[in-house]
Amino acid sequence: MTETAGALADVRILDLTDERGIYGAKLMADLGADVVRPEPPQGDPLRSRGPHFEAAGAGCTSLWYAYFASNRRFFYLDLQAPQAAEQLAGLVAHADIVLTCDRGFGLELLDLKAAQEQRGELVIINTSSFGQTGPWRDYLAPDIVAGALGGAAATTGDVDTPPLKGFGELNFMVSGAYVAIAALGALFSARATGKGQRADVSVHECLVSCLEQVLMLYWYADRLMREDNVLPRRGSTHWSDAYSVMTGINGSIMITPTPDFDNQLAWLIEEGVHEDLIDPKYMEPENLRLRIDRTMEILRNWVAGKDVEALFHEAQSRHCPYGWVLPIERVADNPQLDARAWYTPYNIGEAQTKATGAPYHFSATPWALADHHGPDADTAAILADIGWSDEQ
Amino acid sequence: MSNVGKRPLDGLRVLDFSHVLAGPFATRVLGDMGADIVKVNSAGRADGANAPLHPYYLMWNRNKRALALDLSREESRVLCRQLCETADVVIDNFSVGVLDRWGVGYDDVSGTNPGVIYVQMSGMGDGGPWSKYVTYAPTIHALAGLTHLTGVPGREDIGIGFSYNDHQAGLHGAVAILAALASRHSTGRGQRVDVSQFEVGVNFAGPALLDLFANGHAARPTGNKLPYDDVVPHNVYRCAPVDVSAIIDERWVAIACMDDAQWQALKGVMGQPEWAENADFDLVEGRVAAMDVIDAQVSQWTQTRDAYEVMTICQDAGVPAGVVQNGRDLAERDPQLALSGMLQKLDDVSPTLGQTWVDRLPIHFDQTPCNDYQRVRDLGEDNAAVLKDWLGMDAADVARAEDDGLLR
Repeated sequence: MTETAGALADVRILDLTDERGIYGAKLMADLGADVVRPEPPQGDPLRSRGPHFEAAGAGCTSLWYAYFASNRRFFYLDLQAPQAAEQLAGLVAHADIVLTCDRGFGLELLDLKAAQEQRGELVIINTSSFGQTGPWRDYLAPDIVAGALGGAAATTGDVDTPPLKGFGELNFMVSGAYVAIAALGALFSARATGKGQRADVSVHECLVSCLEQVLMLYWYADRLMREDNVLPRRGSTHWSDAYSVMTGINGSIMITPTPDFDNQLAWLIEEGVHEDLIDPKYMEPENLRLRIDRTMEILRNWVAGKDVEALFHEAQSRHCPYGWVLPIERVADNPQLDARAWYTPYNIGEAQTKATGAPYHFSATPWALADHHGPDADTAAILADIGWSDEQ
Repeated sequence: MSNVGKRPLDGLRVLDFSHVLAGPFATRVLGDMGADIVKVNSAGRADGANAPLHPYYLMWNRNKRALALDLSREESRVLCRQLCETADVVIDNFSVGVLDRWGVGYDDVSGTNPGVIYVQMSGMGDGGPWSKYVTYAPTIHALAGLTHLTGVPGREDIGIGFSYNDHQAGLHGAVAILAALASRHSTGRGQRVDVSQFEVGVNFAGPALLDLFANGHAARPTGNKLPYDDVVPHNVYRCAPVDVSAIIDERWVAIACMDDAQWQALKGVMGQPEWAENADFDLVEGRVAAMDVIDAQVSQWTQTRDAYEVMTICQDAGVPAGVVQNGRDLAERDPQLALSGMLQKLDDVSPTLGQTWVDRLPIHFDQTPCNDYQRVRDLGEDNAAVLKDWLGMDAADVARAEDDGLLR
């Protein structure tokens, strides 16, 4: 391992995931693990996911794939070929961690139980939609269905919209993060004890574990002085009622008087728009909800006459956690991200562009984005790694 | 050495200064996996969501031991430094610089504990013109483009209905810690990890940002449509009862035909209605052209039916479908969660905190199962045990420190 290697530079992973687990493989690949991803002769079906970048050239146009399958080495594997099972077994034998998904590519040729018996330190992480048992075990759940059953969609949307899914792949990015945690947790244990293991990750359970207020309200509604233990979707208004997106002169901004209501009140008084908020009744603990509602009403009227960019910076200078609602092009051109040199050059096939950077910065083991290739790019090198010869 | 009966992170010591959701969620995951999480709190800071009685605190702080330290006192800071010297991981989500002022910044700690993994999960990261900005998840959602993108065309005031990014920042914090531990296994050295919750959030718009950088195309909200791929139907449809007085009583089902075969299967489930027999709809291109018509017709079919019934008959035919479940559904109707024991009422009821519940770790290890869930601890409830285990302090010394007001 060199001084500039990633944190997982000595970890070898076989990636047989689909959408449900691929983000976990990405997280570990981007941290330096050697992640091999086999593909059928016609290419990974996920290479068809949009958006596309035609300049990258054949086999490389999918930007979805360039993002989620970053830092992989790709391996051509024809499951019909006589050597396929042996090559796949060779890849498993070379790996510290094998990542699979139910009904995933190549599984029909693999005996992972036998592989684990042969190499007790092997870690296997399998992702399923609903677990290995139960009446929904075989249910099909793309991201929108997973988010519906998992409780996320019920929170999102407004009275005049259906329940909504998050943009993109937000549900599977939760299960993917858990996949990485499962793999690295099992690796930690294997290195301490010499014994690997298998872990199962259910997308459904992953989503249920990440719903902030949903289970809290169900269990603790009385302590929160709530009449009901379920909240309907209601636009951007937070479960606490104290955060909401409001409209200014030239855009939208997320406004909250928390965590310091007095600080917000002082600002409103300074601007002469506090109306009746200094009434002592709002200081009574039993009137907290009343105070929140009245404050938000006054803030909404006040924000309507404000330039949202100026308001955002002014709020932050006063330690008020307002958030300017930025469209994607303003996220791409952002002074904070620029100052941290966050966006990263990215070579995709025959073209160059930029990509999102690291979600964390390690002081000793850098995160890096290697060039992204088409199918079959690394097959020969991988065969050499596993000691495969043409005679076989 | 057998690992049966143990948990994967047994023996790992984590000193946890984090608060609210993101940091505590990271350490909740590690604690569920067996790490010894010592959560540092104080009487002065234990208010609002940082008070052990608050439901928000109860949700994210099970499986941790509670140590109270009055860090305004130099003698307490000495104890804190000693704890840092014996920790594998130190984590906080204060604004950058707070722990430095207490003498337990990374430079201080790594000088005497070179193996320490030191994680700082601030809103904006260490450095940059916004580094002092104050953020909560709704702030990050707005700044990262997630609020703008999650919604319907023409609106930018919807966004994600819960603190998605706080959970994800926690999960990414846990990934970072485990990766740094793997690196330490190889090199013997610890390191500092700077987690910017803003950067975690922007990362989720990765494909859309690639599209912007490569093609100049700026994504906009698409409702329940996939933003880049042709899939029709792919939406959430109203089910019975339609005439409800409150939005909370509405029932909805998500249906997605990810390929042409699933569309044929859906037609079968719907009884081969005449409108669906249009040959143009056999291929997805034809269905995309008629998306509004198809959505309206599917909606007409679902709205007289029970959502769970629609889901079942669709899934039985191989069509992806799922009821939009709320918290009550998850707790009372969901057979998968019931079967796996995902949601649990804890037997150990604290006299001060009352009855509590947990949603278990969604990872099922077959050799080191994580089935041990300890209730949230009250402020300083584990002072004596922690100081004995980590620093070897005897009971008399702990009692003296408590009498001196250091441990509160």
